[in-house]
Amino acid sequence: MAAKKCFFGMKVDRQVDGDKMNPNFLKKVISEGGDGAAIAACMQCGTCSGGCTNIDRMDLSPRKLILMVQRGDWETVLKSESLWLCTSCYTCTSRCPRGVRPSDVIEAVKAIAIREGIQNDSTRFNQIFVELVQKRGILFEPELMQKYGGMEAMLEQAKLGIQLALKGKMSPFPAKVKDPKKFNEVLEKASQK
Amino acid sequence: MKYSYYPGCSLHTTAKEFDISTQIVMQELGIELQELEDWSCCGGSVAAGVSHDVGMALAARNVALAQKQNLDLLASCSGCYNKSARAVKALENETEKERITAILSEMGISVSDYNIRVRNVVDVLANDIDISAKIKRPLKGLKVACYYGCLLTKPADITGWDSPVFPMSMDKLSKICGAEVVDFRSKTKCCGGPILVPKQDVVFDLTKQLLDEAVSLGADCIVLACPLCATNLELRQPDIEKKYNVSYKLPILYITEIIGLALGIKPGKLGINKHIVSPKPVLDKLGI
Repeated sequence: MAAKKCFFGMKVDRQVDGDKMNPNFLKKVISEGGDGAAIAACMQCGTCSGGCTNIDRMDLSPRKLILMVQRGDWETVLKSESLWLCTSCYTCTSRCPRGVRPSDVIEAVKAIAIREGIQNDSTRFNQIFVELVQKRGILFEPELMQKYGGMEAMLEQAKLGIQLALKGKMSPFPAKVKDPKKFNEVLEKASQK
Repeated sequence: MKYSYYPGCSLHTTAKEFDISTQIVMQELGIELQELEDWSCCGGSVAAGVSHDVGMALAARNVALAQKQNLDLLASCSGCYNKSARAVKALENETEKERITAILSEMGISVSDYNIRVRNVVDVLANDIDISAKIKRPLKGLKVACYYGCLLTKPADITGWDSPVFPMSMDKLSKICGAEVVDFRSKTKCCGGPILVPKQDVVFDLTKQLLDEAVSLGADCIVLACPLCATNLELRQPDIEKKYNVSYKLPILYITEIIGLALGIKPGKLGINKHIVSPKPVLDKLGI
């Protein structure tokens, strides 16, 4: 067996492996809006994983996820449950000594995953959320619950809903921007790009 | 001092008391708020993860509208604040600015070169003004746990006015108000925020840890500045109690409510009666 290429003595999973590098995925992530995310600067120190809110529930740590993006292993990344466990808390981004923004990378990958057809509760929720924000410009939460969880969620949340309504914290009428039609049209077009 | 005030979706619904208390406290302190005209949702932590352009356009739209009013933008909600501040930073980047401007111009909104600042109500109260001279009713004997969560102070290149690791602004404000502040080690631990609905079990687990620590420290209430954190900590508190078979009944108050009480404003005028978890233990302790 040929000797494994090693880069500054890094272990196998951190190795910059020329044969497996597929720069297309990295480019895609960067063009999605990750150009400020400085993915290339990652030195695999793992500070991001050390501070991550949900690290113990993830199948791919933020450190590994960044490496997989660099290596172009897009299948592993897009199928990872970690994308949907990220709470966008920015602890990783805040602590990275190299200025990498793992939360922004994950955000870009999430958008790519949705476009690639990945489907689960999180993608469904996120898409409905954006659809409803686009519709009126201001979120109407009862509609979000109804569209996402159906009748069951409405019944489950009924007690809280009534309490909120009695406290004047939930109006039966949705608020909206001045020109919701235009608002929706423009953002719909922007999302198609 | 005058700001363009951006309430955001939550402050008009589930966090109504945050809206009411912000407005009355600012008025009391002589800071004028003019509501941002035709504001829209900032997209939260969700929108940019569906489409980067849509997320950034949503956040930048409010910034552009504030530019039109020629005023710095003031947000109470940590999420709205963070996303708007992020948009201001994005507008300093040529490529991002081009992408954002193209979308907003189709809506008939122009982006001006004069970039405004985005401020959070905690930042203004802690760093711009001295509230100590206005304290009329010190909150003597009240033990509070100040919870900062994530978006108020992280990441520092977007926020920058308080430490992302060990923030102290709300601790200081609470102390000025006369309250005793407990050493809440989870003050920047995430409550699970935006994944509440699709990953409810995970979020309940994360939120429970926060409630557990606050209770173990003997805090009378948690003080915070984020409606999404309040959704998890307060609105879902009864669900968490049920799931784990525990009882907290821990009042969750916004920082502006605490300050309002110390300024001598009547609880009813601060919207304190609008909480789902009763804040009565706090008021009783203060003898109000």
